[in-house]
Amino acid sequence: MSSQSLHRTPLYGEHVALGGRIVPFGGFEMPVQYTGIIKEHDAVRSRAGLFDLSHMAQFELRGSGVAAWADGLTINTVATMKPGQARYNIFTNERGGCHDDVLFYRLEEDRWLLVANAGNADKMWAYVSERRAGDVALADRRADRALIAVQGPAAASIVGALLPSDGERARVTAMKYYTCTPAQVTGAPALVGRTGYTGEDGFELFVDAADAVRVWRAAREAGSKHGLEPAGLGARDVLRLEAGMPLYGFELTEELSPLAGGQKWAVKMSKPDFVGKAALAEQLASDHYDRIAGVVLEGRVPARPGYAVHLGERRVGEVRSASFAPSVGNRNIATALVHKEAVIVGTTLGIEVRGTVHPARVVALPFYKRQS
Amino acid sequence: MAQPEGLLYSKEHEWVKIDGDVATIGITDYAQSSLGDIVYVELPRVGAEIVQFATIGVVESVKAVSDLFTPIGGEVTEVNAGLENDPAVVNRDPFGEGWLFKVKLADAGERANLLSPAKYEEIVTAAG
Repeated sequence: MSSQSLHRTPLYGEHVALGGRIVPFGGFEMPVQYTGIIKEHDAVRSRAGLFDLSHMAQFELRGSGVAAWADGLTINTVATMKPGQARYNIFTNERGGCHDDVLFYRLEEDRWLLVANAGNADKMWAYVSERRAGDVALADRRADRALIAVQGPAAASIVGALLPSDGERARVTAMKYYTCTPAQVTGAPALVGRTGYTGEDGFELFVDAADAVRVWRAAREAGSKHGLEPAGLGARDVLRLEAGMPLYGFELTEELSPLAGGQKWAVKMSKPDFVGKAALAEQLASDHYDRIAGVVLEGRVPARPGYAVHLGERRVGEVRSASFAPSVGNRNIATALVHKEAVIVGTTLGIEVRGTVHPARVVALPFYKRQS
Repeated sequence: MAQPEGLLYSKEHEWVKIDGDVATIGITDYAQSSLGDIVYVELPRVGAEIVQFATIGVVESVKAVSDLFTPIGGEVTEVNAGLENDPAVVNRDPFGEGWLFKVKLADAGERANLLSPAKYEEIVTAAG
């Protein structure tokens, strides 16, 4: 893709001014790092990190029919969400594969926000538009909205400092995980979600594109005494992998089901029907499908996506995501898509790196869990 | 930033310090900065015969795997044992404690194929 066809978020100028190293990602020019991936990762785990997630697609859904309509397209339950709740979900295809993994936010009884991955945004907009039916109105908010995340143990203090009063500070910082509420953030109207993709406490601030720079700068200012660092996509990928969270294109694809991708917890077979339910029922009944295992390499050599995975003499799968993991004892970790007999915790697998097989042990996911 | 004097350089961003018939080899500050956080270095074995500009190992950062080329040929006499447990020393001190390996030169004339600090600086400047 040529750079002319790449989009920029409203915060592009901030990233360049901060020395961010810009790479193409999901159709956008985004910062992969500012000062260093490990330093930014460590800031999020110990203090706080500031992320520009404005590349993620925001679609607004309105109408009394949204819940039932969305329940027919996704694996998790939508209708049971109350206003002020956020929930992870996956749009599946007829074969049980994944169109995208998303978050639904129920803003009001009949008003919702759907957040989709940047790389799937055009596909998902076309998909929901074609399927629209009944009392469901869709609005593509990609051009006029931004998303800024503050993640880490100091996130509540930093976001609290952007709120207009002690009462608002108390209300917003008392929010439970996976809830959302409207608030004035440094004077800008925002939707505040207590959500994230790092394994730490954190907030996501959905604001108008026109307010993005002001909110970003105010968060940096409020965060300076807490050691907040701007953090790029590189740190975000390490953080999400340590926290055992899937990344579309790696653990979830059109060919990989939520079951294969380790998201069985979100598959609600009690729902009357949804796209792909029959295929998932078949997978569950047969139990014959390759699935994601978490592995920790025993030596120092890193794994990479696509490396072959062996059980004894047999090839049983391949690496899907991998990273050096500062929060997992500075070991190298990976997700591997393997035959079902290879996912048992404690099993030693072999990962082939440049012709040599290196031992790696299957562990329970997530690799990292914060002390709450 | 000027490149350290007293060293020779390759277009692939390695440096060489020649002392008699032994050369010490590392990667430049530009190389370590481009790679980002280095987490693994794979080097040839002591005793291996290596040929100028051949691929002889890899340097891995959090994000990427990069081939390592030797800027000069000869027999490997020593590898930096400290890299095994602390590969990030290459980021912190690429021209010092982060050296990679030493070779006994096969042909002292090979140095003519390497770049002066000023010539290497031109390459780094052009690369942005």
